[in-house]
Amino acid sequence: MSKEDAAEEVKGGLLDEAVQYHVQLKKGDISDFVILPGDPGRVEFIAEHFDKAKLVAENREYKTMTGEYKGRPVTVTSTGIGCPSAAIAIEELANVGASTFVRCGTSGAMQEHTRVGEKVIATGAVRYEGTSIQYMPIEFPAVASHDMVLALKNSAIKNKLDHHLGIVQSKDSFYGQHNPEKMPIADELRQKWDAWVKGGVLCSEMEAATIFVVGSYRKVRTGAVLLVAGDQARGESLTKEEYKDNMSESVRLILDSSLDIEVGGENG
Amino acid sequence: MFNKVEQVKHLPISFGEIARYVIVPGDPNRVPIISELLDDVEHQGKNREFNAARGKYKGIDVSIVSTGIGCPSTAIAVEELIHIGAKVFIRIGTSGSVDGSAKKGDIFIATAAVRDDGTSKQYIPIEFPALADIKVLDSLIKASAALKVPTKVGVCQSKDSFFGEVEPERMPVAEYLDTKWKAWQRGSVGASEMEAATLFTLSSIFDVGAGGIFAVETSDKETIHKITKIVLESICYMEKGVDNV
Repeated sequence: MSKEDAAEEVKGGLLDEAVQYHVQLKKGDISDFVILPGDPGRVEFIAEHFDKAKLVAENREYKTMTGEYKGRPVTVTSTGIGCPSAAIAIEELANVGASTFVRCGTSGAMQEHTRVGEKVIATGAVRYEGTSIQYMPIEFPAVASHDMVLALKNSAIKNKLDHHLGIVQSKDSFYGQHNPEKMPIADELRQKWDAWVKGGVLCSEMEAATIFVVGSYRKVRTGAVLLVAGDQARGESLTKEEYKDNMSESVRLILDSSLDIEVGGENG
Repeated sequence: MFNKVEQVKHLPISFGEIARYVIVPGDPNRVPIISELLDDVEHQGKNREFNAARGKYKGIDVSIVSTGIGCPSTAIAVEELIHIGAKVFIRIGTSGSVDGSAKKGDIFIATAAVRDDGTSKQYIPIEFPALADIKVLDSLIKASAALKVPTKVGVCQSKDSFFGEVEPERMPVAEYLDTKWKAWQRGSVGASEMEAATLFTLSSIFDVGAGGIFAVETSDKETIHKITKIVLESICYMEKGVDNV
């Protein structure tokens, strides 16, 4: 199916509007390469790493800045927390010209060898969330685009960053992860968590699974870099200063990877 | 888990008789066809649907072990192969097409699999993704490009019921099968086969590498040899560690 066909399929609804309903963006406002943090407060920080940037829209949790990095057009849009708002962001951004999405987020460590400050490049995600199953049955894999994974990997090596490649977990309930014992479904939360840990899942976050599944359906390229910001098992977390420096490294990792992605090119 | 004995329960081979790289077709009769492209081939024996051979390609030790049809026997083969020392699994199979992107005679490389199987769920909950190992996947893509063999790359579906796919209308759950199939079509699933989901899930869990490459709606010897050549060249890439992944 071509891009035109994909656009044709969604004709006749909200997504057909020139200015997209939630993100308040139209064609020309954004580049093909979009960085997706969760936090709208992180948009400006990320854009400071561009060579030039300007604010193009801000509505609800969606704040968008577009600019250039080493001559390559780039955009940053916040998704808000969780898969429901992330799905809206991708759908609307894809409608106005985005063809590559890289989440730039934070996460909690799940393995002995994933330590705070390290960057996890997601190859896929556990779909422990409710949004992606309203797109595709649960058996479908939440998989990142392999060319994006390799571009991120190469960028991490070039930038000499401590990183891991592997599967991450996406959940809907932040406090269900942090205080499972308080929840009515405590047993299920603990059993599943233990299964993910035994299965080698590297870290826990809240948007990647839907970004990957909706990305597959919309035929766009997707990837994710998750900074390990906390470690429940060890009781460790980054200080404010460490967080800033490490997030800067994540942003540079993603920006340098964008140089390997053909501008306006076909999807991965 | 396993008794510390010389033999594993199902495979005809044991410790010291397996290469690091294992080609895993479904069909035991495909083992000798694949082995035609290896040097110094030794046919090691057969038990049930598990047929084993070993040989060399450009000096690299390569095993071929059939899994039988379906994820239940594949899981047994993969568990026992890991136990005796296998590290990288590449499935050579045949498949049907789903969304029409891969057509009869095409070659399809799987990035991941839809877990429409029962076996992988007895290992880890369904939300977990069945992914091909990125190094195996990248090596298969690089090898096919170097050999100038066009391929389709994408997600495949792994099912348990062969006839549920080819004749869904006669099944008691016809509507269920139809609804799901339409979702796979709309979600750009390219190929349908019967082993990858469990192979990929188990390889993630047990920290070994796995990939899959399929002949779409064909199983003639020429195509199987073409695929085998890609797989063997991909093993050379992995052995050299070309991309440091």
